[in-house]
Amino acid sequence: MTSLIWRLHRNQVWFASAVLVVLAVVLLITGHVMADDYRNALANCAATPGCTNAGNLLFRGDGAIMDIVDLTLVVPLLFGLFWGAPLLAKEFEDGTNSLVWTQTVTRRRWLSSNVAWALLAAAVWGAAMAALVSWWRFPENALGTRFDAFDIQGIAPAAYSLFAVSLGIAIGSVIKRVLPALATTLGIFVGLRAVIAIYLRPHYLTPTKQVIGIGADPNGPSGAWVISSSIVGPHGQVYGDSFSPSDVPKACLQTFFDKQGISGHCMATHGFHQLVSFQAANRFWAFQGIEAAIFLVLAAGLIGFAFWRVLSRDA
Amino acid sequence: MTDADGALAIRTESLGKQFGSVWALQDCSIEVPKGRVTALVGPNGAGKTTLLRLLVGLTAPTAGGATVLGRQPGQVEEFLASIGYLAQDVPLYKRLSAEDHLKMGARLNPTWDDTGARERLESLRIPTDRPVATLSGGQRAQVGLGLALAKRPQVLLLDEPVAALDPLARREFLASLTAAVADGDLSVILSSHLLHDLERVCDHVILLAASRTQLCDDIDKVLAEHRMLVGPRRAVAEVKGSFDIVKAVQTTRQTRLLVRLTGPAIDPSWEISEVGLEDIILGYMGQDGELTSGALYSLGAAS
Repeated sequence: MTSLIWRLHRNQVWFASAVLVVLAVVLLITGHVMADDYRNALANCAATPGCTNAGNLLFRGDGAIMDIVDLTLVVPLLFGLFWGAPLLAKEFEDGTNSLVWTQTVTRRRWLSSNVAWALLAAAVWGAAMAALVSWWRFPENALGTRFDAFDIQGIAPAAYSLFAVSLGIAIGSVIKRVLPALATTLGIFVGLRAVIAIYLRPHYLTPTKQVIGIGADPNGPSGAWVISSSIVGPHGQVYGDSFSPSDVPKACLQTFFDKQGISGHCMATHGFHQLVSFQAANRFWAFQGIEAAIFLVLAAGLIGFAFWRVLSRDA
Repeated sequence: MTDADGALAIRTESLGKQFGSVWALQDCSIEVPKGRVTALVGPNGAGKTTLLRLLVGLTAPTAGGATVLGRQPGQVEEFLASIGYLAQDVPLYKRLSAEDHLKMGARLNPTWDDTGARERLESLRIPTDRPVATLSGGQRAQVGLGLALAKRPQVLLLDEPVAALDPLARREFLASLTAAVADGDLSVILSSHLLHDLERVCDHVILLAASRTQLCDDIDKVLAEHRMLVGPRRAVAEVKGSFDIVKAVQTTRQTRLLVRLTGPAIDPSWEISEVGLEDIILGYMGQDGELTSGALYSLGAAS
């Protein structure tokens, strides 16, 4: 079984390996440069009176490289499209399922081997890529927040890869043509990832709330992921996006800007504050774990569905 | 359902398959003894492919059941090892070479006849190192047959194996098949909508039409049982005799009947003649063969 799978998919494996090697070389070189720059910037900052943020002294790397690293976001999707979706759909489309399913190998064994290798490849490649990016982003992570690049480092990319491949396989078991299966995999993967990242992820753990003065830095503690910041009135009322000039005490509207400016100092004396809601930097791994768990559970369900389709239904 | 005497290669009982609301195959009961080369014939859409897929376990029946060599088709290695199957249009992994396919077969089948398969392809001068997509249709069909035979199956099922081949490739394919059958104790079913291709290599026939079995017997017996009766025109309903009418054709002066004999007594006013297998088949299929003139109506299968 394994040798057949290898013969059928060796080109994809070579291609993926080549891409990973090129990425690794680029990231290892630029990563070293960036780490050196970062250490130098820290040293210079320590030696420079009044320097509070080493990032200001740091050359943040080459734009093109940053873009390449950000583009690793789509790699799990590519696994789903090129390893997952064709796995069953191509067999059905070419009719080769009726060739291989009439050899002396049960469908369960055939599917188990195929699924196992596809998942293993996705997990290994996804994890290797994420490990490279995590290492490469160390200075960026130290200066900003790791949450900014949540989707391309840590353990989440491996989970996305497993999910994408599982999704492709499950869709291929229903839509028995390669191109429609690819398109459907693309749509569902992107849609689901976006919905989870935008609507679910901020609430994995209850955000920490912090009340700070008007005019203070609303970025939360170092490395935190700010979910929202809003104005709190003197009686505790929270103004979200609906904060409007009419909510501002008349006395605080500065006349010399055509009544468009607001005096922060005045607001503070009238009892206004800022409420910052954030996820602290030390929650990064908890969030990675929760996100990975969600996608792994989905992946397991999809694989189960694909087995049910292939084993219990007509070929 | 058990195969009591063990002499049957294939047995089905009221086998049926429904796709949505359409019956692709209905009430199919056949028995094929071991060692026969069986032609599975019928018009397009008669259920030939469905029957073969049911017999190899690629499809599960909606009604009835089937046994192949006494085993129910299913996901059991013992069963899978006993059958060889070549689907319509000879599906192969296009980018893989014949060599790759042979290696695959060797890995996936415990009873693999590697030497035999290689010798067969070599004798046909089929390149084994090129992707099979670059081979001709006839060569691909031979690779497919080679793979199916190399499993050393006891029952070989071939779905329209020669339909897409030119006459020469067709002849070569059937010659390969005949040679393979001569070698061992192999039962073969091959389907076609053209009986002509298969008549020379087959000794048994199954006729499917309108999703039902119309005929399943040894060809010699089929030929012996069918006669063409020609006589003065008369009403078909009034015809009496120890036979079932398969098909009746009325011309202005004559009545022609294709009949299946059930006894010796036939009204001597009929002119009796033997009928070729193709005409018998066409008679069951309700199509015009040589009986082209006159008003035509079919009484369908009488037995």
